[in-house]
Amino acid sequence: MSAANKKGVASRLTVAGHQRPFFVTVIAIFLLVGAIAAFAGGILLSVPSEEGVLSGLQTRLGVPEEGALSSLQVFLATVIVAALGTLLARGMWTLQNWARAAVILLLGAIGLYYGLTVVFDAAAEIFGGEQVVPVGTILSIVLNALFRVVATGMIPIVLIYALLRLGAHFEESPGQRAFIDRGIRYVLIATALSAVFIVFLIILFTLVEAWEAIEEIGLETMLLGTVWRPGSIIGTEKAQLGLVPMIVGSILATFGAVVLGVPLSVGTAILLAEVAPPLVREIVRPAVELLAGIPSVVYGLFGMVVLAPLIRKIEVPYNSGFGLLNASIVLAVMIIPTVTNIAEDAIRAVPRHYKEGSLALGATHWQTIRSVMLPAARSGIIAAVILGIGRALGETMAMIMVIGNSIAIPKPLNNNPLTIFLSSARTLTGNVAVEINYAAGAHRSALFFTGVLLFLMILLVNSLARYLMRERLS
Amino acid sequence: MSKPISDVQLERRTVQQATSSLARRQLSQRVAFAFVWLAGFLAVAALVWIIGYVMTQGVQMINLEFLTTRPAGGVSGEGGMSTTIVTTLYLVVLTIAIATPLGVGAAIYLVEYAGEAQRESRLVSYIIKVARTGVEILAGVPSIIFGLFGFALFVSFMKLKFSLLSAGLSGACLVLPVIIRTSEEALLAVPRSYREGSLALGATKWQTNVSVVLPAATPGIITGVILSVGRIIAETAIFWVTLGGSYRLPTNLLSSGRSMALHVYMLASETRAFEKAMGTAAILITTIVLLNLIINFTSRRFAARMMGRNR
Repeated sequence: MSAANKKGVASRLTVAGHQRPFFVTVIAIFLLVGAIAAFAGGILLSVPSEEGVLSGLQTRLGVPEEGALSSLQVFLATVIVAALGTLLARGMWTLQNWARAAVILLLGAIGLYYGLTVVFDAAAEIFGGEQVVPVGTILSIVLNALFRVVATGMIPIVLIYALLRLGAHFEESPGQRAFIDRGIRYVLIATALSAVFIVFLIILFTLVEAWEAIEEIGLETMLLGTVWRPGSIIGTEKAQLGLVPMIVGSILATFGAVVLGVPLSVGTAILLAEVAPPLVREIVRPAVELLAGIPSVVYGLFGMVVLAPLIRKIEVPYNSGFGLLNASIVLAVMIIPTVTNIAEDAIRAVPRHYKEGSLALGATHWQTIRSVMLPAARSGIIAAVILGIGRALGETMAMIMVIGNSIAIPKPLNNNPLTIFLSSARTLTGNVAVEINYAAGAHRSALFFTGVLLFLMILLVNSLARYLMRERLS
Repeated sequence: MSKPISDVQLERRTVQQATSSLARRQLSQRVAFAFVWLAGFLAVAALVWIIGYVMTQGVQMINLEFLTTRPAGGVSGEGGMSTTIVTTLYLVVLTIAIATPLGVGAAIYLVEYAGEAQRESRLVSYIIKVARTGVEILAGVPSIIFGLFGFALFVSFMKLKFSLLSAGLSGACLVLPVIIRTSEEALLAVPRSYREGSLALGATKWQTNVSVVLPAATPGIITGVILSVGRIIAETAIFWVTLGGSYRLPTNLLSSGRSMALHVYMLASETRAFEKAMGTAAILITTIVLLNLIINFTSRRFAARMMGRNR
């Protein structure tokens, strides 16, 4: 099939000359040979034999027993690979644009794979050992890796570059273009639905796992039971799986965080939106953003090492420093970025003329903020606080580290009711994280139910916030 | 709820306030602004205190031995942190490799196709609404739920055990909404005239997307990817229930491992080797700060470029 002939048949729009470059011919032949070789190899492997060639090879490659492929699977894979290879070779031979795109993608994937392999090898060499690696060795490993990247990466990069430059030689018929255009659309719809699919899977799997607990223990017992004593720990006694202590713990810790964190956050938001000069804003805003980036384990570590000894100084019997107060302080700092960002946006969204009108009437700046801007931004600020609550309810690792994790309902330590915040507690999130790795049976299922409960609470809180924000926009 | 405050209300208030003396009003402004400044100061102070404490305590621990030997395991808390660095690297690459194509594809659909598709059919417009809600819900799901889900689906149901693959798949679910949202914003920032020009030249929708819109939006998409890298590095709860926590170097996708953040948690809660935990946390914070600087830089440049082109 000569290129000149092809021009008349398939393409009316493309005017490029269809001289096939030698380079493309080589790639096409290479692809064809590769397809044939893969086919031959696969067939040879999949023929059932006495010696068990296939299983022997798989054992040598270290494929685990349950992951081993049957000869039928190998045969099918071979046929598919060979067919795709041949198709691609033919596409390249006839200078089809889709083949060029496919080959470029393939080369890119291969190049990326080799690049990553080199990086991983180097990382494993430097960081994998039990001995100290001296700086000289590290340097030589890094240089060696760089050299390998350049050496092996050169081939795909040069090939991709050449194919990109040869774009004019390839053609694409209008039918083909329309076909690809439509096909891609379906692929994109699928990706767009991936998020909702994951949400569906999350609900499905947590509910299925929680079902055993709902059926055997009962919703009421779990939601109203005040004792959490999973049988797998105690042994002989029957398990008691009431979630009230964790619900109380979660609510109290979140309440503390809101009391401490919201004034700070809203104050910061007012500062950023209205009061601060640009220079201060340039410092405070990135700082607040960075607070959101700090890993929760670091907050937890800080709470353990710095806050706990400070709190222990409050002289109340059985005050360990680990408890609701510690948790509330840590959470308060953790919700600052969420609340501040959204509250600031809400304040900034207040129409200019509200502010101008108020100022023109002789109100001071603060009066304007308090009596005009904050009321106008109210729903946005409330949404910010609610989102902060959602964030606080969902926090896990920092909580396990600082809250003490006791399974009893938190009680005041002496006759001052405020000392309830010095008592140790456990959150819903912490309950899951602490026990899930060794739980089994109804206990495990009850932990999944804890997850379902948490998910529902957060869903409720977040949809409330979204509703408020949407109302603000309309 | 931006109901304009009614004129009567406003009048009443301002009249009341006008009667109080100017000095008193200015005093109350001064007090209020003092509080506002204090709040901002406290927020920054908290950051400086945490980072400063962890860095000053942690830096003393960091040396070549700490960085290049593996943790000893068990409850001793001895050894370095080397394998956790590699595991974190693996996890980041794996997660991003899974989440980026999905996220960018979803964003392209929601920005470039959803509008016209919605007009074409009622069903499609419903599907798009569901897809958007899905992204919003997913963005609010706490990480321990992703962990539970990964534990149920990947670790138990698909029998992947505690492994890099289980952790990477669960982690991808966590960062997917981040990538979708930032990519959406990046695509929306590309001027309309780009698309119109390309379509007018006879390119199909897909050709326009690939050769005009995506290249223009790439810096914004990269910002989202870096943001996700930060999330993965900082994430602990998911990996606590899907990654297993082995201190050895993972040899393949199905082997267990321990990320840096997980290492901090395990050291602090199981061994009480706080000084080593501080060392690891210092490395962790340094990485996060660096990533934040990169994000600030790239997003600023992207915004500047798009503004310049709009003119």
